[in-house]
Amino acid sequence: MAIIPHPRQIQTAVVDWLDQRFPFTQSVDEALYQRVPNFANAFYYCFGGMVFVLITLQLLTGVFLAFYYVPDASGNPAPAYSSVNTITNDVTLGWLIRGVHFWGANLLVVMIVLHMARVFWTGSYRAPRELNWMVGVLLLLVVLAFSLTGYLLPWDTKAYWATSVTIQIIGGSPIIGGLLRDILQGGPSLGPSTLQRFFTIHVFILPALVILLMYIHFRLIRRHGIAEPL
Amino acid sequence: MSETQGILVAQWDGYLREGPGAATGAVPIVEVEAGGHELEPPSKRMPIGPDHILYPIMIGLALFPILMGAAGPHLADDMPEEETHPFFPDHFWPYPVIMVAMVVAVGLLSLFVRQNMLLEQSADPKAVVTPRPDWYFLWLFQELKLGNEFITAYVVPAVIVIGLLLWPFIDQLGGSRLAARLGWSMWPVPGRNVITGTAWVLFISFIVLLTFWALSGVTIFGITGG
Repeated sequence: MAIIPHPRQIQTAVVDWLDQRFPFTQSVDEALYQRVPNFANAFYYCFGGMVFVLITLQLLTGVFLAFYYVPDASGNPAPAYSSVNTITNDVTLGWLIRGVHFWGANLLVVMIVLHMARVFWTGSYRAPRELNWMVGVLLLLVVLAFSLTGYLLPWDTKAYWATSVTIQIIGGSPIIGGLLRDILQGGPSLGPSTLQRFFTIHVFILPALVILLMYIHFRLIRRHGIAEPL
Repeated sequence: MSETQGILVAQWDGYLREGPGAATGAVPIVEVEAGGHELEPPSKRMPIGPDHILYPIMIGLALFPILMGAAGPHLADDMPEEETHPFFPDHFWPYPVIMVAMVVAVGLLSLFVRQNMLLEQSADPKAVVTPRPDWYFLWLFQELKLGNEFITAYVVPAVIVIGLLLWPFIDQLGGSRLAARLGWSMWPVPGRNVITGTAWVLFISFIVLLTFWALSGVTIFGITGG
């Protein structure tokens, strides 16, 4: 007699099979049913989570923008400029995606400042969490680099001249200034090759960095647990 | 265990013996360190066990601990129960709410505040424009006007970045002991020492004042704002 197992039994068997290879059930229980100190319920403990939500939102909307954006600055108006206009005016819901990316970037800076203020307020950077504070500062620098490189991408007048000043300052720094300018500018003057490089940094290098650093940040938080406020 | 389940388990056992793991006799069972955390008793957990239809979602959640590794020893483990609460749902529920609120907030901003996002003309290298950075770089923009270019453009930013990076050590070395001896321990926030606390407040004031200076456009000591 053929026995047809109930779907529930198949599921249990699959879960058992998985649990034999990795303690999934135990991991879920540990993640969900740990106890949390009551002081962690204060509203200011949520800013870090808000930063995480916003960065996720930036990654998502950034991918959608990259479907339409053209990193080409040749000619006037440049395809880069026209493609941003197309996204804003013609693409279905393009205004919303670009708007969320734009406002998300601004809100991100606000939330990072609030998160840092909270970490200072509760003294959470103290031993054994010094390393995680340093990772956090690196994350702040990466986010600022995101906004610097992202500012150029629409390739309008203010983007061009703001970046021109930035590169001028970076290029003047002692010893490595010239090298940095060559790397960022990609040519004798600010032009299409610069946009190409800023796009690459904004879309490939910085997202990889931010994901890696956030991963380290969260692993360290999980290791240390929530800090007792001083 | 029901009859069917027994058969299924027997089949898995057969697979384990004859499948790819046969050479070693059995598939080694991987264990993560439990970490000794006290969990909620089963009676207080969600009624979603391995035989529940929603359980695959729970298994998906396990991706989080797999990525994040074992949790370290946590404060809550040593605290009396009335001073702690369970992570789920007591601590978890605000986050989905916050997430939706933020998505709605940026959505409304993009719907109603368009002028900040408007593009100017396509970039023209021949045009002469005095650029203005985003609001969060305004303080740096203003700071650049304050004096010797080398100091304002390189020394000050470098000092700020290195100071931020090394802040935990500065805080530890540059104040605690002396402040504790003098009894200065309540400013600017409780439990903090007056020395590094003041340094922090001065730093924040520096940034905020420069930002407002740049925003206001007021000329002070012959230096224009903005």
